[in-house]
Amino acid sequence: MNSLIKLELARAMRNRKFLFFSVIYPSVLFLLISSTSDTTTKVDGTGLTLPTYMMVSMASFGALTAVLMGNSERIAKERESGWVRQLRLTTLPGRGYVLAKTASAAVVSLPSIVVVFVCAATLKDVRLDAWQWGALTAAIWAGSLVFAALGVAIGYLADGDAVRPITMITYFGLSILGGLWWPTATFPAWLRGIAEWAPTHAYAALGQAIEQSQAPHAKDIAILVAFFALFTGGAAWLYRKDTLKA
Amino acid sequence: MTVMTTQTAPAVGFDQVSKSFGNVKAVDGLTLSLRPGETVALLGPNGAGKSTTLDLLLGLKQPDSGAVRVFGVTAREAIVAGRVGAMLQSGGLMDEVTVAELVGLACALHPKPYKASDVMARAGIAQIASRKVNKLSGGQAQRVRFALATAGDSDLIVLDEPTTGMDVTARQAFWATMREQADQGRTVLFATHYLEEADAIADRVLVLHRGRLLADGTAAEIKAKAGARRISFDLEGEIDERALRELPFLTALDVSGHTVRIQSADADATVHALYGLGLYPRNLEVAGLGLEQAFVAITAAEEAKTK
Repeated sequence: MNSLIKLELARAMRNRKFLFFSVIYPSVLFLLISSTSDTTTKVDGTGLTLPTYMMVSMASFGALTAVLMGNSERIAKERESGWVRQLRLTTLPGRGYVLAKTASAAVVSLPSIVVVFVCAATLKDVRLDAWQWGALTAAIWAGSLVFAALGVAIGYLADGDAVRPITMITYFGLSILGGLWWPTATFPAWLRGIAEWAPTHAYAALGQAIEQSQAPHAKDIAILVAFFALFTGGAAWLYRKDTLKA
Repeated sequence: MTVMTTQTAPAVGFDQVSKSFGNVKAVDGLTLSLRPGETVALLGPNGAGKSTTLDLLLGLKQPDSGAVRVFGVTAREAIVAGRVGAMLQSGGLMDEVTVAELVGLACALHPKPYKASDVMARAGIAQIASRKVNKLSGGQAQRVRFALATAGDSDLIVLDEPTTGMDVTARQAFWATMREQADQGRTVLFATHYLEEADAIADRVLVLHRGRLLADGTAAEIKAKAGARRISFDLEGEIDERALRELPFLTALDVSGHTVRIQSADADATVHALYGLGLYPRNLEVAGLGLEQAFVAITAAEEAKTK
């Protein structure tokens, strides 16, 4: 399986468009958004400056892009082309393909997180303790697995032409709803009520809690665990259905 | 004990295997057994159930009823043991990687791998090793698929319509490579709808039609059966059907008006005997039956036998 992970990774590294959108684009967005405010104004109800707040949002967004986009479209395409069938004629275990996809997406998501942090620290004067940087990286990286599972589920749910719009709607919907682009504090009350239960909101809240030197809230962790169970369960079910059909 | 059974087990065993898609019976009560070392062609027109049969063999599809065994175990177990290499019809390839990388992956995944460079040389793709997989012609892609199927020391090689998209030269080169595999003592099973391919390569030909095994024999036997020819001519005056029916090698007779249509297993002998009757056939035409018609002829013959 390591050989497949290596090859998937080599391929991802060669795909400039994918690298741009998952590694560079979140940092660019971060710089654009944080340039609209000074470095001292606090985001309502958080005690964090806008750049500090948005740094976590954009790092989460970058990781989300890498794992969701990387998985869904590729899987749908390769299912259609018959590559997945061809792999079933090798010793690769059934889950090996999905695990290799997820592992390689996770390797790409790490630099997208780190690049946002580097931009924030060097250009926007975001200052945190060493443990906070470490904990942030770990939390955002680990949390991205939830969305990797979602990407796999979409890849097995949709075919060919349908997969891109479905991925895009999910991707933008989750990004906006989770407050990755604008703090949810700016949302009207009714939308804030919904956003609180979005997996992306809980995801970004993990990082924000660390920035506030707090332990992540139990509710956010519970939401992420529940969605992880839902997405992996769905992916496993769709995978089995697809295997029987092929 | 277990070793004994796997050694004596057939390379491929189908026991009363059926598979339907909706109302269509793609494979219908198929029973067959391939001995290790045989080169076998699975011959049939499009829609005969060849691909479904191979999918069942490889464990890509599960039968509705019956049992499939590969070297005495399930397909998956045989694959994991490295005993099976397979090439699917237009099976997808991982794109945006090079040919060498893809073949390297296949070798890395095989329990008894060959060196990737040797595999590519044998498949005739060494000179395109650094090319991207998605930039290949149809014939080149087929060769890459073949390389994936022969990445290791497998005992059974399964190929679904392997020469699709190849021109005549590529086809011949391909079959030469294929024969090397067979000469190394492997069991080779390939699906084709070309009788000539089956004739040139296989020791044994299985004819599949509508999911059933129509014929099972040497290529020569099948050719004799499927090699039937159609003779048609006009006769003036009264036609003596009884005399025509006695013609040698005749398998079917149809008289309408002055026109006589005959199917014969040996057209030369039949026509010779026709003149021997003192008849003067006009507008004589002798034509080969297409494979499809040949299958119908075999079916008709088989049905007549069972009546």
